Amino acid sequence: MSAEHTESPGRLFPGKGEMARRVRDYPWAASPVGDPASWPESMRTALRICLTSRFPMIVWWAPDLRFAYNDAYLPLLGTKHPALARPGAEVWGDIWHIVGPMLESVLETGEATWSEDLLLPMDRHGYWEETYWTYSYSPIHDDCGTVRGAFTAVNETTERVVGERRLAALQDLGAQAGTARTVGEACGLVAAALERASADVPYAAVHLRSPDTGGLVLAASSPAGADPVPLPGGPGGWPLEEVLRTGRAATVGDLAARFGELPGGSWGRPPAEAVVLPLPGETGAEPVGVIVLAASAGRALDEAYRTFLDLVAQHTAALVNGAVAYQVQQHRAEELAELDRAKTAFFSNISHEFRTPLTLIMGPLEELRAELSGFDEHVREQVEVIHRNGLRMGRLVTTLLDFSRIEAGRMQARYEPVDLSVFTAELASVFRSAVERAGLAFEVDCPPLPQPVHLDRGMWEKVVLNLLSNALKFTFDGAIRVALGTEDGQAVLRVSDTGTGIAAEEMPRLFERFHRIPNVRSRSEEGSGIGLALVQELVGLHGGTITADSVEGAGTVFTVRLPFGHAHLPADRLAEPGPAAVSATAEPFVQEALRWLPRPSAAQEPPEGPPWAGRHPQEGDGGPDGAAQDGTARDGGARQGARVLVADDNADMREYLARLLEPRYRVTAVPDGLAALAEARLGRTDLVVSDVMMPGMGGLELVAALRADPRTAGIPVLLLSARAGEEASIEGLEAGADDYLVKPFSAQDLLARVRTNLELARVRNHHAGWRAAMVASLQEGFFVCDSDGAVVEINTAFTDILGYGPEGLPYPPQYPWWPAPSVDPEAHERAGEAYAQLMGDRRGSFTVPVLHRDGHRIWVAATFSTVEDPETGEQMRVGTVRDVTAERFAAQREAALTAMSVRLSQASSVPDAVRAALDALGGLWHTRSVLAVTWRGGGGEPAVTGPDGGLRWQDLPEQRRRAVEALRGHPPLHPAASEDPAGLGVTLDHPEGLLSLWLEPDPARPFGDEDPTLLGLLAGHLGQALRRAHQTDQQREVALTLQRAILGPDRLPSGFAVRYEPATRPLEVGGDWYDTVELPDGRIGIVVGDCVGRGLSAATVMGQLRSACRALLLQASGPAETLTSLDRFAALVPGALCTTVFCGILDPGSGRLVYSSAGHPPGILAHPDGRTELLEGGRSTPLAVRPGHPRPEAERTVPARSTLLLYTDGLVERRRRPLTAGVDQAAAAVGGGRGAPLEELAVRLMERLAPEGGYDDDVAFLLYRHPGPLEVSFPAESGRLAQVRGALREWLARCDLPPRQAQGVLVAAGEACANAIEHGHRDHPGQQVRLTATATADGLRLTVADSGRWKTPDPGSNAHRGRGLTLMRALMQQVTIDTGDGGTTVDMQTRIGR
Amino acid sequence: MTTRLRLDTGRRPDGTPVLTAAGEIDMSNAGEFTAAVAGAVPASGRLVVDLTAVEYLDSAGLITLFTHAERIHLVAPALLGPVLTVSGLTELTTVDIA
Repeated sequence: MSAEHTESPGRLFPGKGEMARRVRDYPWAASPVGDPASWPESMRTALRICLTSRFPMIVWWAPDLRFAYNDAYLPLLGTKHPALARPGAEVWGDIWHIVGPMLESVLETGEATWSEDLLLPMDRHGYWEETYWTYSYSPIHDDCGTVRGAFTAVNETTERVVGERRLAALQDLGAQAGTARTVGEACGLVAAALERASADVPYAAVHLRSPDTGGLVLAASSPAGADPVPLPGGPGGWPLEEVLRTGRAATVGDLAARFGELPGGSWGRPPAEAVVLPLPGETGAEPVGVIVLAASAGRALDEAYRTFLDLVAQHTAALVNGAVAYQVQQHRAEELAELDRAKTAFFSNISHEFRTPLTLIMGPLEELRAELSGFDEHVREQVEVIHRNGLRMGRLVTTLLDFSRIEAGRMQARYEPVDLSVFTAELASVFRSAVERAGLAFEVDCPPLPQPVHLDRGMWEKVVLNLLSNALKFTFDGAIRVALGTEDGQAVLRVSDTGTGIAAEEMPRLFERFHRIPNVRSRSEEGSGIGLALVQELVGLHGGTITADSVEGAGTVFTVRLPFGHAHLPADRLAEPGPAAVSATAEPFVQEALRWLPRPSAAQEPPEGPPWAGRHPQEGDGGPDGAAQDGTARDGGARQGARVLVADDNADMREYLARLLEPRYRVTAVPDGLAALAEARLGRTDLVVSDVMMPGMGGLELVAALRADPRTAGIPVLLLSARAGEEASIEGLEAGADDYLVKPFSAQDLLARVRTNLELARVRNHHAGWRAAMVASLQEGFFVCDSDGAVVEINTAFTDILGYGPEGLPYPPQYPWWPAPSVDPEAHERAGEAYAQLMGDRRGSFTVPVLHRDGHRIWVAATFSTVEDPETGEQMRVGTVRDVTAERFAAQREAALTAMSVRLSQASSVPDAVRAALDALGGLWHTRSVLAVTWRGGGGEPAVTGPDGGLRWQDLPEQRRRAVEALRGHPPLHPAASEDPAGLGVTLDHPEGLLSLWLEPDPARPFGDEDPTLLGLLAGHLGQALRRAHQTDQQREVALTLQRAILGPDRLPSGFAVRYEPATRPLEVGGDWYDTVELPDGRIGIVVGDCVGRGLSAATVMGQLRSACRALLLQASGPAETLTSLDRFAALVPGALCTTVFCGILDPGSGRLVYSSAGHPPGILAHPDGRTELLEGGRSTPLAVRPGHPRPEAERTVPARSTLLLYTDGLVERRRRPLTAGVDQAAAAVGGGRGAPLEELAVRLMERLAPEGGYDDDVAFLLYRHPGPLEVSFPAESGRLAQVRGALREWLARCDLPPRQAQGVLVAAGEACANAIEHGHRDHPGQQVRLTATATADGLRLTVADSGRWKTPDPGSNAHRGRGLTLMRALMQQVTIDTGDGGTTVDMQTRIGR
Repeated sequence: MTTRLRLDTGRRPDGTPVLTAAGEIDMSNAGEFTAAVAGAVPASGRLVVDLTAVEYLDSAGLITLFTHAERIHLVAPALLGPVLTVSGLTELTTVDIA
C-alpha cells in the first residue's frame, strides 16, 4: 500500500461541511461499501469533488447503489436526510421506478444520461410535491475501465419550471385583454385561460356582484361547470360575502371538510387550500366580485404562490372592468347616435307625411263645401266639423314643420321693419270676438313704440296667436290683457291672464317640447304641447327672450322681449317692409279657440278660407256682386277675388281699367310688358289684361313669354288693341292670347270677357291646379328643366332643401347651388358630371354635394326622367330631389368609424393611438389644425400632441389654449363647439387622466350639425382604443419581464452589455437568447441563439436549450464540443430543430476567443481604428440538422479596445433586403459607436437599426469590449498603493496603451488614490477607495471615489498635494472633481494617442 | 506592506556621491527616500540621484527632489520623462534621461 492509501479520512475528505464530517466519521469499514482505502482512486476523487463542491451532487456505489451526497444536496433530500451510504432504492422508494433504471443503465453501459426538467413527484416535506430536476448520471470507472459507481450533478429546477409556467399562465390571461365585449364573455375567457393553467389553478370560480340585486352570482368556473356544494354538517361554503365586504383576501385551508374533493387539475390530487380574493373595481370603486382560486396540492401555498394567485385575480378584475367599461361606452355612444337619428327622422318625416293626405282631404272638401251650399243644414254642419278639424290639423302640421325647419336651419325668415304696436293690436283684434264670447274682458294696450322692430311677420303672428290662444284656453273668468311697451331699450310684449296658473314645479318644463302640464283645468283637452316651445324658438330666432311668471289659481304672465334694430339678425335675411296684413295663419287659431266656447249662432262665424290655397286663388274666388252672374256661390270681398294684372302704358287707360275691375277683383296695374311678366312670374296672377302696343315689351311678346314659362303658361291673357280687323285679332290669338278686345270697348263687354275667361281658366286650370297642389305637397323636392338645362319649375320642398325659391326662376346652369370650383373643386366636378348625366340620359339618378343658399353644404339624391311637353314638343327633364345629407353622414360616419378602428387597431401604445387618431381626424375633416391635449391626474402642464409630434402648451396661442381649457368643463364624450377660434372639441377618459381633442376646420369647410355627433362617436372609439393600448403597454411590460426572467444571467461579467427586445407587432416573446457563463478557469462562455418560431412555445424551447448549453459549457472542452453535444440534446427537444447558435469561449485576460457557429449570423468585430471584420469561421449547420457530426472551431483574438457584437437575425434581417446589407449596416453602426461607452452603444444600436414601426422579430444581442472595465476597491492605506498600481498597470497593458502614456495615467491615478487615502485617514480611517477604469476605442476614463472631502489645494501648507492635482491635470485631458456629502469622486479622461 | 524600493549610496570614479534608487516611490515610502536624499547630499557639490531603475514616481517623491533641486543631478529613465517635465523639475535641475 502506498502512503497515499493510508491517509487519514481527514485528509482524504477535507472540508468543514456537515457531510464532510459525516463522511469522515462514518464507519465505512463496517458497511457494504467498505473502507475508503479499498475503493478505486476514481471513487475517492469523485467523493472528494462531491464534498467540496457547492453544486448538489451524489456519488453512487455499484452494485447496490448506496450513495453519498454533499451539503448542497441537503435541501433536496428534505426529511430523508441522513441517508449516507444507504441504498437508493430504500431512500428514494417514491421515485426509484424512474431513476433506478437510469442508474442501472449507467452501470451497465457506462454511458451517461441527461435529464432536463424531469418531473419527479416527491414526498420530502410531508406532502406529495411536484418537483423538477435537471441532472446527469455519469459513470465512474476504475483504472481497468470497470464501472464502479456513478456520479450525479443535480440541479433542482422546480422554482424555474413552475415560475415559467405561472408567468405563461399570467401572460395567457393578460392576452385576453381587450377582446371581451361583455362581462359574461370576459368571465368565460378567464375561465378558459385558467382551465389551461390547471396545473397551478386546479379549480377557480368567478362570482360577480349582480347589477340588479347587488348579491353575488357565479359567473364562470374552471373546470367549466364545476360548482362544489358545501357538505352537510361541514364548516360551510366559501367566505364570499366576507371577502366582498372587507375587500381582503381569505385563505380556506379545510377544503376537504367543506366540499369533499375539489377538482385536482393536472396534478390529479385534490387541492387542500384555496384563496378567495376580491376583484377590485375601477380605481377606487368597490370590488366588482370575488374569485375563488384553489392552490394545487403539488405546491405549497407559499409567498410566491400567493403573489401569483393575486396577479390572477388582478388580471381577472382588469378583464371584467374592461368589459364593463366597454359596455358602458358602447351604450353611451349608441344612445347618442340613436337619439340624433330618431330626432332628425321624426321631424323631417312626420310633417311631410301628414301634409300629403291633408292636401287630399282639404282640396275635395273645399269643393264639397261649395257644392253643398244649398243643401240640408245638418249635412253642412257635418262638413263644417270636418273642415274645422282639417284646419286644426293643418295648423299642427305647420307648427311641426316650422320646428323641423328651425332644427334643420331652413327656416326662411324674412325680417322687415314693422310697427309693432299696430301689427300686434291687429293680431290681438282677431281674437277679440272669441275672448269676448268667452265672457272675459279683453284689454289691448299697444301704444306706439319709438322705433320699428325687425320681425318676420309670419313668425310674430304665431308668437302672439299662440300666447293668446293659450291664455284663452286656461282662463275661465276675469281678463286677458295684451300690453306692449319699451323697457331697457327693448320692445316688451306682455300677455297676461287671470286663469288657472301654473304650479311652481312645472315652471322649469313649461317651454319644453311635447311637455304638457298634467291635471289642469282648461277649456280643451286638446293640445300637442308644442305651442309654447315653438314660441320660444321663434322669439329666439328674433334674438329675443320669453319668460313666464305664474301664481297658481291667480294667473300667468308671459313676457316677450325683442331688441330694436337689426344688428342681431343675419344680414341676408333682412328685407324691405312689405304689405301689412294679417295672414291666413290667424284663421285656424281663432277657429280652434271658438270651438272651445259655446256657440251662440252660426252666423257669427268669421269667414273662412283655405289657408294653403294662397298661391292658387283660382280655386274658390269671386266677387260678391258678380256672384249671381257668375253662377257660382262665392262670398268674400274684393280681397278674396281673383287677381287681375293690368298692363298698359297709358296711365289714364290703366286707371280706367283698374276702376272698372276693382269692385270685383284684386287688381295690379303695371306700365309695360316686362313689369307684367315679372309680376306674373310671382304666381299671384289669375288673368292678364294687356295692351298690345307698349314700349319695351309689347302685348304679343308678353303673351309669348308667358306661354314659354311653365309657371305662367296657364294664365289667361286678354289683349286690348286699337287695331281692328280680323288679321290683328288672329295674330293675337295665334300668339297664344285667350281673347282679343278692340278699343273702344264697353265696360260691360270687358267685364263679361274677363269673367268668362276666368271661368274658362278655372275649368281649364282645374287640372293644372291639382297638379300644382300635388307637386307642392310632394314630400320630395320637385323640379322641371327645359331643354337648355334651366330649372323652370320647383316646389316648396325644393326650396326647403336648397333655400332657392320660385322668385329666382328660371335657374340656368351653372346653378347657384353648385359648389364653386375655387372652394371645393371636387364637389364642383361632381356637380358637372351630374349635370351632364341629367342632360344626356333619358332617365337616371345621382347623388351630389350642393350648397344651400345659406352656405352650408348638403347632399341631395336626384332622380329624373325625360318628358315631352305636349304642346311644344320640347324635351323637358322632370325630377325629384331628396336631402340625403343625414344618410350620407351616417354612411360617412360608418366609414370614419371603420377607418378610425383600423388605424387604432394598428396602434401598439397609448401615444401611438393618440397620434393615429389625430391623423384619422385630420384626414376626415381636412382640418386646418388638430390637437390632442392630455391632462394628467397629478396636475402640471398638459401634454400637447400635434399630427407631427409633440408641442408645448405654452407655445399655443392664448385663444386656442382657452378654447381647449373650456372643453374640460364638458362631460366626457360631449363635443363642444367654439366660435373664436372656430373649432370643435371633445374630452374623453385617458389612462392617465383626461384627453381633449381639438379640431379647427378649413375655413372653406365649416363644421356642420352632424359633426359634433360624429366626433363624439369617434372619441368614444378612441377612448376604447386608449384603454386597449394601455393594456397592451402593460402586457408588454409583463412580456419583457417574463423573457428577462427566463433569460439570464442576473449579473453580467464586466465588459459586456446585452439587450433583448420582443417583436413589436404583434407583441410576442420569442426564441432569441443570449447568455454568459463564467467558467471555473476564469474564461467566459458566450452564447447567442435563436430558436425557430415565436411565442411561448419558442420561449420554452429557448429556455431548455439555454439551460442545456450552460451545463454543457461547464463540462465540454470547447465551443465545438458544446455545440456537438447540444445537437444531440436538441434532437430530443421538439421545436429545437434548426435553432442557430453562436457559442464562444473568451479569455478576458488575453482577449482570445474560440468559437463555433451553428448556422448563426457572423459576429462583428470593430477595431479601434474603425475597421470592421466578420467572424465567419467555425461555421456549420444549425442545431440538430446533423447530430453526431463534428463541428469546426475558429479562433480570433479580440484586439485591445475593439468591440465585439453578437446578435440574432432580428437585428439585421429586413424584408426585401439581403441579409448582408443588414449585417453591413450593423457593422457600420458598431464601428461608428466604437468610441461610446458600451451601454450607450447598446442603446444606440437598438435605435439606429430599428425599422420604422419597430422590430417585427425579436432581437437579442451581446456586446463585448476588450478589455472589460477594471474595478478595484481597497482600504485607504498607503501600503495598498503598489498593489493597486500593479493591477492598473496590467490593465493598461491589456488596453495596449503606449508606455509613456500608460505611465502618465498611472501617475495621475496614483495621485488621485493618494489624495483619497489622505482623506480616508483624516476622516474615516479604513474607508474603502474605489478605482474604476474603462476603455473605448480611442479613450480612457478613470474614476477614483472615496468617502472623504477633497482637500482644497493650498500650496503654502502642503505644496506636494497641490502639485499632485497639477500633475493630474497635466497628464490627463479632462479632470473633474466632485465633492459631495458622500465623498469625493475624481473623474479623469484622456484620448489615446499613438 | 510598503512599496518595493531599494536605495544604495556610492560614489562615482570622480568622487561625486550617487544615490541609486530601484523600484517605486509613492507616499508609502517617500519618507525613506527623503531621508536617503537628505543624508546623501554633500556639503558642497551635487548629489547624483540615479532613478534609472525606478518604475514609478509621483508627487510624494517629487517633493523631495524639488526640496533639493539645486543640490542634485538627476539621472532618470525615459519612462519618467513626462512626469519630471510636467512637474517643472527639469527647469530647476539637471536631468539626464538615460
